Amino acid sequence: MSRLNQLVLASCVLVSTALADESVVNSLHDLSARGVGPVRAVHENEICIFCHAPHNNAPQTPLWNRENRRTHYRIYESSTTDARIDQPGGPSKMCLSCHDGTLALGNVFSRPASEPVVTTFRTMPPGNADLATDLSDDHPIGFRYDRALSNADAQIRAPEVVSNLLPMGDHGEVHCTTCHDPHNNELGNFLRVTDQMSAICISCHDLAGWQGSAHANSGKRVTGRTVDQWERLPYGTVRDNGCTNCHKVHSARNHERLLRHQREEDNCLNCHSGDVASFNIAADIRKRSGHDGSLRANVHDPAELPFSMARHVECVDCHNPHAVSHNPVGSVRGTQGRFVEGPNRFVSGVTITGREIDHSQFGYEICFKCHGDSAARPRLTTTRQISQTNTRLEFQPGNPSFHPVAGARRNPDVVSLISPLRVGSTVTCTDCHNSDSSRFAGGTGASGPHGSIYDPLLVANYETDDFTMESAQSYALCYRCHSRDSILGNESFTLHRLHVVDLRAPCSICHDAHGIYRGQGNATNHSSLINFDTSVVTTADTPFGPMLQYTDTGRISGNCTLTCHGVAHLQFPYANSAAGTSARGATNTRGATRKGIRR
Amino acid sequence: MNRKSMMTTSLMLAISGIVFLGWAGIENSKHDFSSREWTGGDLCAACHVPHRSVAPTQGPLWEPDADLNKTFGTAVGGDANPQRGTMMCLRCHDGTIAGDTISGVSGNSFANHQHDGIFALGHGTTDHPVGVAYPNIDRGFRPAGVLEAEGVVKLPAGNVECVSCHDPHNTAGAPFMLVRSNERSALCLTCHRK
Repeated sequence: MSRLNQLVLASCVLVSTALADESVVNSLHDLSARGVGPVRAVHENEICIFCHAPHNNAPQTPLWNRENRRTHYRIYESSTTDARIDQPGGPSKMCLSCHDGTLALGNVFSRPASEPVVTTFRTMPPGNADLATDLSDDHPIGFRYDRALSNADAQIRAPEVVSNLLPMGDHGEVHCTTCHDPHNNELGNFLRVTDQMSAICISCHDLAGWQGSAHANSGKRVTGRTVDQWERLPYGTVRDNGCTNCHKVHSARNHERLLRHQREEDNCLNCHSGDVASFNIAADIRKRSGHDGSLRANVHDPAELPFSMARHVECVDCHNPHAVSHNPVGSVRGTQGRFVEGPNRFVSGVTITGREIDHSQFGYEICFKCHGDSAARPRLTTTRQISQTNTRLEFQPGNPSFHPVAGARRNPDVVSLISPLRVGSTVTCTDCHNSDSSRFAGGTGASGPHGSIYDPLLVANYETDDFTMESAQSYALCYRCHSRDSILGNESFTLHRLHVVDLRAPCSICHDAHGIYRGQGNATNHSSLINFDTSVVTTADTPFGPMLQYTDTGRISGNCTLTCHGVAHLQFPYANSAAGTSARGATNTRGATRKGIRR
Repeated sequence: MNRKSMMTTSLMLAISGIVFLGWAGIENSKHDFSSREWTGGDLCAACHVPHRSVAPTQGPLWEPDADLNKTFGTAVGGDANPQRGTMMCLRCHDGTIAGDTISGVSGNSFANHQHDGIFALGHGTTDHPVGVAYPNIDRGFRPAGVLEAEGVVKLPAGNVECVSCHDPHNTAGAPFMLVRSNERSALCLTCHRK
């Protein structure tokens, strides 16, 4: 007998162990009068009865004790999902019989309808557990997770490799019960796999670049970044919160893609405003010239076509938050960012040949999405001989002249380059278009074209107004790469100093910084980025009629026919004898000046 | 049983949450038909007859006219093999004589669902399966050996039967003649690890 007692005692211990965290008893689903949660019965002491009954239940396993209503739910929609999402069924409907808030919690089959179990709340009270009948802000359920889905979406794992801790429905469909075990709240939220470091999410979602990304690995504290009580982040660090830093699996403010915040940029700026992340991007994009996502209501859609999308700019246009990582510190001109680095990994783009690609290889390919063929690209700001706003065309390596972004240019006339730049180097969009406070610019802020006090989003000052007084500051942008001493020392164009210093003509009046598309200009008239600003430079009367033309005549030599600052130039020549090449006007440059310019 | 082990037993009973509610025993219970004329005032005669038993060595002395071969629908998957611990109950509780086992929506739910196969585990069942083998290897259930040691829920021939949860003699005096009180769903959780 004493042996039997021991056995019984042992089993009692077993029972009490089973009644710990991993049991429905004393969990939030213990709706009995002695339950721990705010939602519970007033008198009823049984626990199972709210969902199951041994007799007189609904004709539905597992001994289901609640009504299966024909509720119509608004389901999740997304432009990027390949899943066919249906109305919820099976076990999901059972969960929703409480969690959609429509059916009284105490309305169980085993009791007469006139005598429901009296509960503290008649239906599910507002809060995280109340999903309502609008499931468009919740992770989709009721779709088949099969090979067809994983084949269609490279970022979804094949169903056979998904942990068997996450059971699918009878036909392989995802239900509430795939992620949740209603009887076991050991991990919180009745999850079957922990959400720490998003383990449960990445069981199915295999996002390109996620494992090595900053968002998956950052140990930065996120404490204090909660917006309201429903948005409390479960863990203390970016790494531990993982997906939930930006996404909410249920009741997401931004329904499509389940974003935590309604406005796209807020999901990023919640941390990237100087509090959690290293740099204050929020301050950058709100500068005079910035890629400020809040300026336009249009949103980024991963499924959008670059050529036809509405004009917008969002963080995710240039960054893939699933793959971003830190940029290696580097500010060497001409090398930074030619190949996309950490912050821009796995971002779509358009190649120099106009082909859409999922993962940009070069930084400019990201820029070309909006500043290339897109109908939404910015409008013209300077009127020139040749008008072109399509930067993809402006930077074609076959152009008569171009800044060497998409390909090197071997123009020996460019003698002003500051080492390590040399003829044959390449530069990037971000060499000129960058935040003025960036580390790249010598400041302490984030590098990249987030925002600048210099329009159009330039890393340094660049005056384009006529009669600007020359100074190191006036054309600081150009002087970052092109030696001011060389330019003003007339090492290339022999009349640079005269034009820029004495006559106060800004660089932009003669030069079109991006390039001249070969379909519009030729190498004779548009070498050396010559494309005159026609608001300043006008035609000159010649025997052949009014003309506005630059003519390249060889190594650092050429002539102009135009009117500028009221001065007519008629095939006005220049040549640099030091360059040692044949040139028509190989005379004293001062003399040429006096002869050529009529005041 | 010595004094110490008696104390231990009482303690264990308390831990197990067995609470005796009301009057225990068949006397004055719903199974007490001794006031009816047809029993002749015999408390046991409704079910037991002392000398006419079919198989006196195998169990109680059942009243021999009981139709133990009566069918109640088709078992899904053929896994149901109801034993006496069920069939004797259904002799009355099939909806034609006695009311339902639990006060509820209808008084004859067994009869209504005969076609659904009340013994089966599967879709369409409205009652807890009986006449089925206890799923001893399922992690979701406590081991049959432990149940046997506890001696509360009985598994005749390893099966779940009506008498697994119900005690027709009302020994525990629990509501619905359960073998123990279902306070805090303790009876459910005796088998189900949830």
